[in-house]
Amino acid sequence: MTWQPEIDEYARRQELARQMGGAEKVARHHANGKLTVRERVDALVDAGSFDEVGSAAGFPDYDAEGRLVGLTPANVVCGRARLDGREVFVTGDDFTVRGGANDGGLREKLAYAETQAVRWGLPLVRLVDGTGGGGSVRHLETLGRTYVPEVPIFAEVVETLTQVPVVALGLGSVAGLGAARVCASHYSVMVNGTSQLFAAGPPVVARAGEEVDKETLGGAAIHAKNGTIDDAVDSEAEAFERTRRFLSYLPSSIRELPARTACDDPVDRREESLIGVIPRDARRVYKMRPILEAVFDAGSVFEIGRAWGRSVITALARLDGWPVAVLASDPYHYGGAWTVDSSRKAIRLVDLAENFRLPVVHLVDIPGFLIGTAAERDGIMRYGTQALAAIRSSTVPWCGVMVRKAFGMAALSQRGGTRAFQRMAWPSAQWGSLPIAGGVYAAYRAEIDAAPDPAARQAEIEARLEAVQSPLRTAEAFGIEEIIDPRDTRRHLCRFATLAAPLRAGARGFGYRP
Amino acid sequence: MSRDVHSEVAGSVFELLVAPGDTVAQGDTLLLVESMKMEIPIEAPVSGVVAAVHVIVGDTVAEDQRVISIEAS
Repeated sequence: MTWQPEIDEYARRQELARQMGGAEKVARHHANGKLTVRERVDALVDAGSFDEVGSAAGFPDYDAEGRLVGLTPANVVCGRARLDGREVFVTGDDFTVRGGANDGGLREKLAYAETQAVRWGLPLVRLVDGTGGGGSVRHLETLGRTYVPEVPIFAEVVETLTQVPVVALGLGSVAGLGAARVCASHYSVMVNGTSQLFAAGPPVVARAGEEVDKETLGGAAIHAKNGTIDDAVDSEAEAFERTRRFLSYLPSSIRELPARTACDDPVDRREESLIGVIPRDARRVYKMRPILEAVFDAGSVFEIGRAWGRSVITALARLDGWPVAVLASDPYHYGGAWTVDSSRKAIRLVDLAENFRLPVVHLVDIPGFLIGTAAERDGIMRYGTQALAAIRSSTVPWCGVMVRKAFGMAALSQRGGTRAFQRMAWPSAQWGSLPIAGGVYAAYRAEIDAAPDPAARQAEIEARLEAVQSPLRTAEAFGIEEIIDPRDTRRHLCRFATLAAPLRAGARGFGYRP
Repeated sequence: MSRDVHSEVAGSVFELLVAPGDTVAQGDTLLLVESMKMEIPIEAPVSGVVAAVHVIVGDTVAEDQRVISIEAS
Protein backbone atom coordinates (compact mmCIF):
# COMPACT_ATOMS: atom_id res chain seq x y z
CA MET A 1 0.00 0.00 0.00
CA THR A 2 1.29 3.47 -0.87
CA TRP A 3 1.04 6.73 1.11
CA GLN A 4 -1.61 8.04 -1.28
CA PRO A 5 -4.33 8.18 1.42
CA GLU A 6 -2.27 10.63 3.49
CA ILE A 7 -1.50 12.75 0.45
CA ASP A 8 -5.23 12.81 -0.35
CA GLU A 9 -6.00 13.81 3.23
CA TYR A 10 -3.44 16.63 3.06
CA ALA A 11 -4.97 17.79 -0.22
CA ARG A 12 -8.39 17.88 1.48
CA ARG A 13 -6.98 20.16 4.18
CA GLN A 14 -5.43 22.40 1.52
CA GLU A 15 -8.78 22.56 -0.23
CA LEU A 16 -10.52 23.52 3.02
CA ALA A 17 -7.87 26.20 3.65
CA ARG A 18 -8.43 27.63 0.17
CA GLN A 19 -12.05 28.39 1.16
CA MET A 20 -10.57 31.09 3.42
CA GLY A 21 -13.24 32.53 5.76
CA GLY A 22 -16.10 30.89 3.83
CA ALA A 23 -18.29 31.86 0.88
CA GLU A 24 -20.23 34.53 2.79
CA LYS A 25 -17.14 36.37 4.07
CA VAL A 26 -15.49 36.16 0.65
CA ALA A 27 -18.61 37.57 -1.05
CA ARG A 28 -18.69 40.48 1.40
CA HIS A 29 -14.98 41.14 0.78
CA HIS A 30 -15.59 41.18 -2.99
CA ALA A 31 -18.60 43.46 -2.52
CA ASN A 32 -16.25 45.96 -0.83
CA GLY A 33 -14.24 46.13 -4.05
CA LYS A 34 -11.33 44.03 -2.82
CA LEU A 35 -9.59 40.89 -4.00
CA THR A 36 -9.08 37.99 -1.60
CA VAL A 37 -5.55 37.26 -0.47
CA ARG A 38 -5.30 34.31 -2.87
CA GLU A 39 -6.53 36.37 -5.80
CA ARG A 40 -3.98 39.02 -4.84
CA VAL A 41 -1.12 36.54 -4.87
CA ASP A 42 -2.28 35.21 -8.25
CA ALA A 43 -2.52 38.72 -9.70
CA LEU A 44 0.89 39.73 -8.36
CA VAL A 45 3.21 36.83 -9.17
CA ASP A 46 4.27 35.07 -12.36
CA ALA A 47 1.63 32.47 -13.35
CA GLY A 48 2.20 29.12 -11.67
CA SER A 49 5.23 30.34 -9.68
CA PHE A 50 3.68 30.41 -6.18
CA ASP A 51 4.99 27.67 -3.88
CA GLU A 52 2.89 28.06 -0.78
CA VAL A 53 4.29 27.30 2.67
CA GLY A 54 1.89 26.23 5.40
CA SER A 55 -0.96 25.58 2.96
CA ALA A 56 -2.84 23.41 5.49
CA ALA A 57 -2.03 25.44 8.62
CA GLY A 58 -4.99 26.62 10.62
CA PHE A 59 -7.52 25.65 13.25
CA PRO A 60 -8.91 22.17 12.60
CA ASP A 61 -12.26 20.89 13.78
CA TYR A 62 -12.36 17.16 14.63
CA ASP A 63 -15.46 15.11 15.50
CA ALA A 64 -15.69 12.62 18.40
CA GLU A 65 -14.20 9.88 16.23
CA GLY A 66 -11.18 12.04 15.44
CA ARG A 67 -12.23 12.76 11.85
CA LEU A 68 -11.51 16.18 10.42
CA VAL A 69 -14.80 17.96 9.70
CA GLY A 70 -13.54 21.49 9.08
CA LEU A 71 -10.48 23.72 8.98
CA THR A 72 -10.31 27.47 9.42
CA PRO A 73 -7.03 28.53 7.83
CA ALA A 74 -4.51 30.71 9.59
CA ASN A 75 -5.03 34.19 8.19
CA VAL A 76 -1.55 34.55 6.75
CA VAL A 77 -0.88 33.09 3.29
CA CYS A 78 2.79 32.96 2.36
CA GLY A 79 5.31 31.34 0.10
CA ARG A 80 7.98 31.66 -2.52
CA ALA A 81 7.09 33.09 -5.91
CA ARG A 82 8.61 34.79 -8.93
CA LEU A 83 8.06 38.35 -10.11
CA ASP A 84 9.14 38.85 -13.72
CA GLY A 85 11.26 35.72 -13.34
CA ARG A 86 12.93 36.75 -10.08
CA GLU A 87 12.49 34.80 -6.83
CA VAL A 88 10.73 36.69 -4.02
CA PHE A 89 8.94 35.85 -0.79
CA VAL A 90 5.29 36.90 -0.55
CA THR A 91 3.11 37.14 2.54
CA GLY A 92 -0.51 38.25 2.59
CA ASP A 93 -3.16 38.73 5.27
CA ASP A 94 -6.52 37.02 4.85
CA PHE A 95 -9.13 39.59 5.87
CA THR A 96 -11.93 37.01 5.58
CA VAL A 97 -10.61 35.21 8.66
CA ARG A 98 -10.97 37.31 11.81
CA GLY A 99 -10.50 40.53 9.80
CA GLY A 100 -6.86 39.65 9.27
CA ALA A 101 -6.18 40.24 12.97
CA ASN A 102 -3.25 38.37 14.40
CA ASP A 103 -5.36 36.43 16.86
CA GLY A 104 -6.86 34.72 13.79
CA GLY A 105 -3.47 33.43 12.86
CA LEU A 106 -0.78 31.10 14.06
CA ARG A 107 1.97 33.11 15.70
CA GLU A 108 4.58 30.72 14.31
CA LYS A 109 3.36 31.16 10.74
CA LEU A 110 3.36 34.97 10.94
CA ALA A 111 6.90 34.87 12.32
CA TYR A 112 7.96 32.49 9.56
CA ALA A 113 6.41 34.66 6.84
CA GLU A 114 8.19 37.79 8.07
CA THR A 115 11.64 36.23 8.46
CA GLN A 116 12.18 34.06 5.39
CA ALA A 117 13.02 36.84 2.94
CA VAL A 118 15.98 38.09 4.96
CA ARG A 119 17.24 34.57 5.64
CA TRP A 120 17.16 33.61 1.96
CA GLY A 121 18.25 36.96 0.57
CA LEU A 122 15.00 37.50 -1.33
CA PRO A 123 12.85 40.61 -1.78
CA LEU A 124 9.80 40.59 0.49
CA VAL A 125 6.34 41.63 -0.66
CA ARG A 126 3.68 42.14 2.02
CA LEU A 127 0.00 42.27 1.10
CA VAL A 128 -1.29 43.85 4.29
CA ASP A 129 -5.00 43.65 5.08
CA GLY A 130 -5.31 43.28 8.80
CA THR A 131 -5.58 45.01 12.10
CA GLY A 132 -3.20 45.02 15.01
CA GLY A 133 -1.12 42.42 16.71
CA GLY A 134 -3.42 41.84 19.65
CA GLY A 135 -6.78 41.64 17.97
CA SER A 136 -9.77 42.07 20.26
CA VAL A 137 -9.78 42.83 23.98
CA ARG A 138 -12.17 39.85 24.21
CA HIS A 139 -8.98 37.84 24.16
CA LEU A 140 -8.26 38.96 27.73
CA GLU A 141 -11.19 36.92 29.07
CA THR A 142 -10.01 33.68 27.51
CA LEU A 143 -6.46 34.41 28.61
CA GLY A 144 -7.44 35.44 32.14
CA ARG A 145 -4.68 38.04 32.25
CA THR A 146 -3.10 40.74 30.14
CA TYR A 147 0.46 41.17 28.89
CA VAL A 148 3.14 43.63 27.86
CA PRO A 149 2.74 43.95 24.06
CA GLU A 150 5.67 42.39 22.29
CA VAL A 151 6.46 41.39 18.72
CA PRO A 152 9.50 39.14 19.17
CA ILE A 153 10.39 39.24 15.46
CA PHE A 154 10.29 43.03 15.21
CA ALA A 155 14.07 43.37 15.47
CA GLU A 156 14.35 40.97 12.54
CA VAL A 157 11.71 42.96 10.63
CA VAL A 158 13.90 46.05 11.04
CA GLU A 159 17.05 44.10 10.17
CA THR A 160 15.32 42.89 7.00
CA LEU A 161 15.26 46.48 5.75
CA THR A 162 19.05 46.62 5.78
CA GLN A 163 19.36 43.37 3.79
CA VAL A 164 16.63 42.92 1.17
CA PRO A 165 14.09 45.12 -0.63
CA VAL A 166 10.71 45.23 1.11
CA VAL A 167 7.52 46.35 -0.62
CA ALA A 168 4.38 46.70 1.48
CA LEU A 169 0.92 47.21 0.04
CA GLY A 170 -1.86 48.46 2.34
CA LEU A 171 -4.91 46.82 0.78
CA GLY A 172 -7.62 47.24 3.41
CA SER A 173 -8.13 48.97 6.74
CA VAL A 174 -4.80 48.48 8.45
CA ALA A 175 -4.19 49.53 12.03
CA GLY A 176 -1.59 49.09 14.74
CA LEU A 177 0.92 46.39 13.82
CA GLY A 178 -0.65 46.11 10.35
CA ALA A 179 0.00 49.81 9.79
CA ALA A 180 3.57 49.44 11.06
CA ARG A 181 4.11 46.52 8.64
CA VAL A 182 3.12 48.85 5.80
CA CYS A 183 5.51 51.57 6.98
CA ALA A 184 8.45 49.24 7.69
CA SER A 185 9.27 48.99 4.00
CA HIS A 186 11.31 50.58 1.22
CA TYR A 187 8.24 51.15 -0.89
CA SER A 188 4.64 51.34 0.29
CA VAL A 189 1.43 51.80 -1.63
CA MET A 190 -2.25 52.17 -0.72
CA VAL A 191 -5.33 51.98 -2.94
CA ASN A 192 -7.64 55.01 -3.15
CA GLY A 193 -11.07 54.27 -1.71
CA THR A 194 -10.46 50.71 -0.51
CA SER A 195 -7.56 51.06 1.90
CA GLN A 196 -7.05 53.06 5.07
CA LEU A 197 -4.23 53.19 7.59
CA PHE A 198 -4.16 54.41 11.19
CA ALA A 199 -2.66 53.94 14.61
CA ALA A 200 -6.19 53.03 15.71
CA GLY A 201 -9.47 52.91 13.82
CA PRO A 202 -12.68 54.99 14.15
CA PRO A 203 -14.25 53.11 17.13
CA VAL A 204 -11.14 53.65 19.26
CA VAL A 205 -10.78 57.24 18.03
CA ALA A 206 -14.45 57.86 18.91
CA ARG A 207 -13.74 56.94 22.53
CA ALA A 208 -11.08 59.64 22.49
CA GLY A 209 -13.79 62.12 21.50
CA GLU A 210 -13.42 62.31 17.71
CA GLU A 211 -16.25 60.96 15.53
CA VAL A 212 -14.81 60.23 12.12
CA ASP A 213 -15.21 57.62 9.36
CA LYS A 214 -12.26 55.48 8.34
CA GLU A 215 -11.69 57.19 4.98
CA THR A 216 -11.55 60.65 6.59
CA LEU A 217 -9.32 59.31 9.34
CA GLY A 218 -6.74 57.49 7.25
CA GLY A 219 -7.55 57.27 3.55
CA ALA A 220 -4.84 56.71 0.96
CA ALA A 221 -4.74 60.34 -0.19
CA ILE A 222 -4.02 61.55 3.36
CA HIS A 223 -1.01 59.30 3.77
CA ALA A 224 0.35 59.77 0.24
CA LYS A 225 0.39 63.49 1.04
CA ASN A 226 2.03 63.27 4.46
CA GLY A 227 4.63 60.70 3.44
CA THR A 228 3.41 57.85 5.67
CA ILE A 229 3.28 55.83 2.45
CA ASP A 230 5.03 56.45 -0.86
CA ASP A 231 2.20 56.33 -3.37
CA ALA A 232 -1.59 56.03 -3.66
CA VAL A 233 -2.99 54.24 -6.72
CA ASP A 234 -6.47 53.63 -8.09
CA SER A 235 -6.57 49.83 -8.17
CA GLU A 236 -4.96 46.79 -6.62
CA ALA A 237 -3.75 45.82 -10.12
CA GLU A 238 -1.86 49.12 -10.31
CA ALA A 239 -0.32 48.46 -6.88
CA PHE A 240 0.96 45.08 -8.11
CA GLU A 241 2.34 46.65 -11.29
CA ARG A 242 4.22 49.29 -9.28
CA THR A 243 5.59 46.56 -7.00
CA ARG A 244 7.13 44.76 -9.98
CA ARG A 245 8.45 48.01 -11.41
CA PHE A 246 10.03 49.18 -8.13
CA LEU A 247 11.81 45.88 -7.58
CA SER A 248 13.16 45.86 -11.14
CA TYR A 249 15.69 48.59 -10.19
CA LEU A 250 16.97 46.82 -7.07
CA PRO A 251 19.12 43.79 -6.34
CA SER A 252 17.50 40.82 -4.57
CA SER A 253 19.65 41.51 -1.53
CA ILE A 254 22.70 43.53 -0.54
CA ARG A 255 24.82 40.51 -1.49
CA GLU A 256 24.30 41.65 -5.08
CA LEU A 257 24.52 44.95 -6.94
CA PRO A 258 21.66 46.46 -8.96
CA ALA A 259 21.62 44.73 -12.34
CA ARG A 260 22.14 46.47 -15.64
CA THR A 261 19.47 45.85 -18.25
CA ALA A 262 19.65 46.10 -22.03
CA CYS A 263 19.26 49.66 -23.30
CA ASP A 264 18.42 50.62 -26.86
CA ASP A 265 18.30 54.36 -26.14
CA PRO A 266 21.54 55.85 -27.60
CA VAL A 267 23.86 57.25 -24.92
CA ASP A 268 24.67 60.22 -27.14
CA ARG A 269 21.03 61.14 -27.82
CA ARG A 270 20.82 64.95 -27.74
CA GLU A 271 17.56 66.54 -26.69
CA GLU A 272 17.39 69.83 -28.60
CA SER A 273 14.75 71.41 -26.35
CA LEU A 274 17.12 71.40 -23.36
CA ILE A 275 19.09 74.41 -24.62
CA GLY A 276 16.06 76.64 -24.03
CA VAL A 277 14.07 74.84 -21.36
CA ILE A 278 15.12 77.07 -18.45
CA PRO A 279 13.48 80.51 -18.80
CA ARG A 280 15.87 83.45 -18.84
CA ASP A 281 13.36 85.34 -16.69
CA ALA A 282 14.22 84.29 -13.13
CA ARG A 283 10.59 84.66 -12.03
CA ARG A 284 9.36 82.04 -14.49
CA VAL A 285 9.21 78.34 -13.72
CA TYR A 286 9.63 75.30 -15.96
CA LYS A 287 8.67 71.64 -15.80
CA MET A 288 11.33 69.30 -14.44
CA ARG A 289 9.64 65.98 -15.30
CA PRO A 290 10.06 66.32 -19.10
CA ILE A 291 13.75 67.10 -18.47
CA LEU A 292 14.09 63.82 -16.56
CA GLU A 293 12.38 61.97 -19.42
CA ALA A 294 14.80 63.62 -21.84
CA VAL A 295 18.05 62.68 -20.08
CA PHE A 296 17.42 59.21 -18.61
CA ASP A 297 16.84 56.03 -20.64
CA ALA A 298 13.56 56.33 -22.54
CA GLY A 299 10.63 55.25 -20.37
CA SER A 300 12.86 54.37 -17.39
CA VAL A 301 11.87 57.11 -14.92
CA PHE A 302 9.84 55.62 -12.05
CA GLU A 303 8.74 58.45 -9.79
CA ILE A 304 8.17 57.74 -6.11
CA GLY A 305 6.17 59.88 -3.69
CA ARG A 306 4.68 62.34 -6.14
CA ALA A 307 2.03 63.61 -3.70
CA TRP A 308 4.26 64.72 -0.82
CA GLY A 309 7.36 66.85 -0.27
CA ARG A 310 6.58 68.10 -3.74
CA SER A 311 9.38 70.61 -4.22
CA VAL A 312 11.62 67.55 -4.45
CA ILE A 313 11.10 64.83 -7.06
CA THR A 314 12.45 61.39 -6.17
CA ALA A 315 12.67 58.57 -8.69
CA LEU A 316 14.47 55.47 -9.83
CA ALA A 317 15.69 55.48 -13.42
CA ARG A 318 18.30 54.00 -15.74
CA LEU A 319 21.30 55.39 -17.60
CA ASP A 320 22.56 53.16 -20.40
CA GLY A 321 20.78 50.38 -18.53
CA TRP A 322 22.38 51.07 -15.12
CA PRO A 323 19.82 51.67 -12.34
CA VAL A 324 20.30 54.97 -10.50
CA ALA A 325 18.45 56.98 -7.86
CA VAL A 326 17.25 60.42 -8.94
CA LEU A 327 16.78 63.53 -6.85
CA ALA A 328 15.46 66.62 -8.63
CA SER A 329 13.69 69.89 -7.94
CA ASP A 330 10.18 70.88 -8.95
CA PRO A 331 10.09 74.70 -9.16
CA TYR A 332 6.27 74.59 -9.29
CA HIS A 333 6.48 74.04 -5.53
CA TYR A 334 8.04 76.97 -3.69
CA GLY A 335 10.43 77.45 -6.58
CA GLY A 336 12.13 74.18 -5.58
CA ALA A 337 12.82 75.32 -1.99
CA TRP A 338 13.20 72.45 0.43
CA THR A 339 10.44 72.11 3.03
CA VAL A 340 10.39 69.77 6.03
CA ASP A 341 8.60 67.17 3.89
CA SER A 342 10.97 67.62 0.92
CA SER A 343 13.88 67.07 3.30
CA ARG A 344 12.29 63.89 4.70
CA LYS A 345 11.60 62.67 1.19
CA ALA A 346 15.19 63.33 0.09
CA ILE A 347 16.46 61.40 3.14
CA ARG A 348 14.24 58.45 2.23
CA LEU A 349 15.68 58.32 -1.28
CA VAL A 350 19.29 58.70 -0.12
CA ASP A 351 18.81 55.91 2.45
CA LEU A 352 17.41 53.63 -0.27
CA ALA A 353 20.28 54.45 -2.63
CA GLU A 354 22.87 53.91 0.09
CA ASN A 355 21.39 50.61 1.21
CA PHE A 356 21.14 49.05 -2.25
CA ARG A 357 24.15 50.82 -3.79
CA LEU A 358 22.42 52.95 -6.38
CA PRO A 359 24.50 55.88 -7.66
CA VAL A 360 22.62 59.16 -7.23
CA VAL A 361 21.95 61.79 -9.88
CA HIS A 362 20.77 65.13 -8.48
CA LEU A 363 19.31 67.78 -10.78
CA VAL A 364 19.71 70.87 -8.63
CA ASP A 365 17.45 73.94 -8.57
CA ILE A 366 17.20 74.93 -4.94
CA PRO A 367 16.69 78.58 -3.96
CA GLY A 368 17.23 77.51 -0.34
CA PHE A 369 15.29 76.03 2.49
CA LEU A 370 11.74 77.37 2.63
CA ILE A 371 11.76 80.63 4.61
CA GLY A 372 9.10 82.33 6.71
CA THR A 373 7.11 81.74 9.89
CA ALA A 374 5.33 78.59 8.68
CA ALA A 375 8.61 76.95 7.72
CA GLU A 376 10.18 77.85 11.08
CA ARG A 377 7.15 76.48 12.95
CA ASP A 378 7.57 73.21 11.03
CA GLY A 379 11.22 72.99 12.12
CA ILE A 380 12.82 73.38 8.70
CA MET A 381 16.42 73.66 9.88
CA ARG A 382 16.28 70.45 11.96
CA TYR A 383 14.98 68.36 9.05
CA GLY A 384 16.96 70.25 6.43
CA THR A 385 20.14 69.60 8.39
CA GLN A 386 19.22 65.92 8.66
CA ALA A 387 18.85 65.78 4.88
CA LEU A 388 22.24 67.42 4.35
CA ALA A 389 23.76 64.97 6.85
CA ALA A 390 22.21 61.99 5.04
CA ILE A 391 23.58 63.22 1.71
CA ARG A 392 27.02 64.04 3.07
CA SER A 393 27.41 60.65 4.77
CA SER A 394 26.29 58.64 1.75
CA THR A 395 29.06 56.62 0.10
CA VAL A 396 27.65 55.80 -3.35
CA PRO A 397 28.92 57.67 -6.43
CA TRP A 398 27.10 60.97 -6.82
CA CYS A 399 26.53 63.30 -9.76
CA GLY A 400 25.15 66.81 -9.48
CA VAL A 401 23.72 68.69 -12.44
CA MET A 402 23.32 72.36 -11.51
CA VAL A 403 20.26 73.26 -13.54
CA ARG A 404 19.42 76.62 -12.03
CA LYS A 405 19.61 77.83 -8.43
CA ALA A 406 21.80 76.69 -5.56
CA PHE A 407 21.64 79.12 -2.66
CA GLY A 408 22.49 79.04 1.01
CA MET A 409 22.75 75.97 3.19
CA ALA A 410 20.46 74.03 0.86
CA ALA A 411 23.21 74.24 -1.77
CA LEU A 412 25.13 71.80 0.47
CA SER A 413 22.71 69.18 -0.86
CA GLN A 414 25.47 68.35 -3.33
CA ARG A 415 27.50 65.50 -1.94
CA GLY A 416 31.06 66.68 -2.43
CA GLY A 417 33.58 65.16 -0.03
CA THR A 418 36.27 62.62 -0.79
CA ARG A 419 34.22 59.97 -2.61
CA ALA A 420 33.45 59.79 -6.33
CA PHE A 421 31.58 62.97 -7.10
CA GLN A 422 31.01 64.57 -10.47
CA ARG A 423 29.42 67.95 -10.96
CA MET A 424 28.47 70.00 -13.96
CA ALA A 425 26.40 73.10 -14.50
CA TRP A 426 24.03 74.29 -17.16
CA PRO A 427 24.64 77.88 -18.31
CA SER A 428 21.37 78.83 -16.56
CA ALA A 429 22.94 78.02 -13.18
CA GLN A 430 23.27 80.65 -10.47
CA TRP A 431 24.47 80.29 -6.91
CA GLY A 432 25.66 82.02 -3.82
CA SER A 433 25.13 82.38 -0.10
CA LEU A 434 22.04 84.51 -0.60
CA PRO A 435 19.96 85.35 -3.67
CA ILE A 436 20.95 88.88 -4.64
CA ALA A 437 17.47 90.36 -4.30
CA GLY A 438 17.12 89.06 -0.75
CA GLY A 439 20.62 89.96 0.36
CA VAL A 440 21.18 93.46 -1.03
CA TYR A 441 19.35 95.47 1.59
CA ALA A 442 20.87 93.49 4.45
CA ALA A 443 24.39 94.05 3.11
CA TYR A 444 24.10 97.66 1.89
CA ARG A 445 21.52 99.01 4.35
CA ALA A 446 23.49 102.11 5.43
CA GLU A 447 24.34 103.10 1.86
CA ILE A 448 20.77 102.54 0.60
CA ASP A 449 19.12 104.40 3.51
CA ALA A 450 21.47 107.36 3.08
CA ALA A 451 20.87 107.71 -0.64
CA PRO A 452 18.55 110.49 -1.91
CA ASP A 453 16.55 107.85 -3.80
CA PRO A 454 16.99 104.61 -1.80
CA ALA A 455 15.04 102.45 -4.28
CA ALA A 456 17.16 103.66 -7.18
CA ARG A 457 20.36 103.06 -5.22
CA GLN A 458 19.21 99.54 -4.34
CA ALA A 459 18.42 98.77 -8.00
CA GLU A 460 21.82 100.12 -9.01
CA ILE A 461 23.62 97.88 -6.52
CA GLU A 462 21.54 94.88 -7.61
CA ALA A 463 22.49 95.48 -11.25
CA ARG A 464 26.18 95.64 -10.29
CA LEU A 465 25.94 92.33 -8.45
CA GLU A 466 23.91 90.65 -11.21
CA ALA A 467 26.78 91.39 -13.57
CA VAL A 468 29.14 89.13 -11.60
CA GLN A 469 26.57 86.39 -11.12
CA SER A 470 27.35 84.55 -14.39
CA PRO A 471 28.41 80.92 -13.78
CA LEU A 472 31.14 81.49 -16.37
CA ARG A 473 32.94 83.69 -13.83
CA THR A 474 32.68 80.87 -11.27
CA ALA A 475 34.10 78.44 -13.83
CA GLU A 476 37.06 80.76 -14.44
CA ALA A 477 37.96 80.40 -10.76
CA PHE A 478 37.33 76.61 -10.94
CA GLY A 479 34.45 77.13 -8.50
CA ILE A 480 32.44 74.85 -10.74
CA GLU A 481 34.13 71.92 -12.45
CA GLU A 482 32.47 72.25 -15.85
CA ILE A 483 29.73 74.12 -17.66
CA ILE A 484 28.00 71.88 -20.18
CA ASP A 485 25.64 72.30 -23.09
CA PRO A 486 22.33 71.04 -21.61
CA ARG A 487 21.77 69.04 -24.79
CA ASP A 488 24.79 66.89 -23.88
CA THR A 489 23.50 66.07 -20.38
CA ARG A 490 22.49 62.51 -21.24
CA ARG A 491 25.89 61.66 -22.64
CA HIS A 492 27.62 62.94 -19.51
CA LEU A 493 25.21 61.13 -17.20
CA CYS A 494 25.57 57.81 -19.04
CA ARG A 495 29.34 58.08 -18.73
CA PHE A 496 28.94 58.83 -15.02
CA ALA A 497 26.80 55.68 -14.59
CA THR A 498 29.38 53.58 -16.39
CA LEU A 499 32.25 54.95 -14.28
CA ALA A 500 30.16 54.59 -11.11
CA ALA A 501 29.26 50.93 -11.68
CA PRO A 502 32.49 49.35 -10.36
CA LEU A 503 32.54 51.76 -7.38
CA ARG A 504 29.14 50.79 -6.04
CA ALA A 505 30.21 47.92 -3.76
CA GLY A 506 31.31 48.86 -0.29
CA ALA A 507 30.33 49.44 3.30
CA ARG A 508 27.20 51.44 3.89
CA GLY A 509 27.59 54.84 5.47
CA PHE A 510 24.60 54.24 7.76
CA GLY A 511 21.74 51.84 8.43
CA TYR A 512 18.22 52.02 7.10
CA ARG A 513 15.52 54.08 8.80
CA PRO A 514 11.97 53.37 7.66
CA MET B 1 -19.41 68.07 -11.96
CA SER B 2 -17.75 71.00 -10.22
CA ARG B 3 -14.09 70.58 -9.43
CA ASP B 4 -12.21 72.77 -6.96
CA VAL B 5 -8.69 73.89 -7.81
CA HIS B 6 -6.30 74.51 -4.91
CA SER B 7 -3.09 76.48 -4.68
CA GLU B 8 -0.29 74.01 -4.19
CA VAL B 9 1.85 76.61 -2.44
CA ALA B 10 1.42 79.39 0.10
CA GLY B 11 1.95 82.82 -1.43
CA SER B 12 0.02 85.74 -2.87
CA VAL B 13 -2.16 85.93 -5.97
CA PHE B 14 0.00 87.66 -8.58
CA GLU B 15 -2.19 87.49 -11.67
CA LEU B 16 -5.59 86.04 -12.58
CA LEU B 17 -5.75 84.73 -16.14
CA VAL B 18 -9.36 83.56 -16.18
CA ALA B 19 -12.78 84.85 -15.11
CA PRO B 20 -16.08 83.08 -14.42
CA GLY B 21 -17.60 81.80 -17.66
CA ASP B 22 -14.27 81.27 -19.41
CA THR B 23 -13.73 77.95 -21.13
CA VAL B 24 -10.46 76.27 -20.15
CA ALA B 25 -8.63 73.17 -21.30
CA GLN B 26 -6.82 70.78 -18.98
CA GLY B 27 -3.33 72.14 -18.35
CA ASP B 28 -4.22 75.78 -19.05
CA THR B 29 -2.74 78.23 -16.55
CA LEU B 30 -5.55 79.72 -14.44
CA LEU B 31 -3.60 82.07 -12.22
CA LEU B 32 -0.09 82.86 -11.01
CA VAL B 33 0.75 82.67 -7.32
CA GLU B 34 3.88 84.50 -6.22
CA SER B 35 5.98 82.40 -3.86
CA MET B 36 9.73 82.42 -3.16
CA LYS B 37 9.92 85.40 -5.57
CA MET B 38 8.68 83.27 -8.46
CA GLU B 39 5.43 83.20 -10.39
CA ILE B 40 3.99 79.76 -9.89
CA PRO B 41 1.28 78.74 -12.37
CA ILE B 42 -1.82 76.96 -11.11
CA GLU B 43 -3.12 74.82 -13.94
CA ALA B 44 -6.58 73.47 -14.77
CA PRO B 45 -6.80 69.83 -13.65
CA VAL B 46 -9.74 69.26 -16.05
CA SER B 47 -11.27 70.91 -19.11
CA GLY B 48 -14.47 72.87 -18.55
CA VAL B 49 -15.93 76.24 -17.70
CA VAL B 50 -14.72 78.43 -14.85
CA ALA B 51 -17.61 78.42 -12.36
CA ALA B 52 -16.09 80.66 -9.70
CA VAL B 53 -12.90 82.53 -8.85
CA HIS B 54 -12.48 82.66 -5.07
CA VAL B 55 -9.53 85.07 -4.84
CA ILE B 56 -8.48 88.47 -6.15
CA VAL B 57 -5.04 89.76 -7.09
CA GLY B 58 -3.01 90.47 -3.97
CA ASP B 59 -4.82 87.94 -1.77
CA THR B 60 -2.64 85.83 0.47
CA VAL B 61 -3.32 82.14 -0.09
CA ALA B 62 -2.40 79.21 2.11
CA GLU B 63 -1.12 75.87 0.87
CA ASP B 64 -4.10 73.84 -0.40
CA GLN B 65 -6.49 76.82 -0.30
CA ARG B 66 -9.31 76.64 -2.84
CA VAL B 67 -8.78 79.33 -5.49
CA ILE B 68 -11.01 78.41 -8.45
CA SER B 69 -13.93 76.08 -9.24
CA ILE B 70 -14.36 74.54 -12.67
CA GLU B 71 -17.51 72.94 -14.04
CA ALA B 72 -15.95 70.00 -15.86
CA SER B 73 -17.12 69.43 -19.43
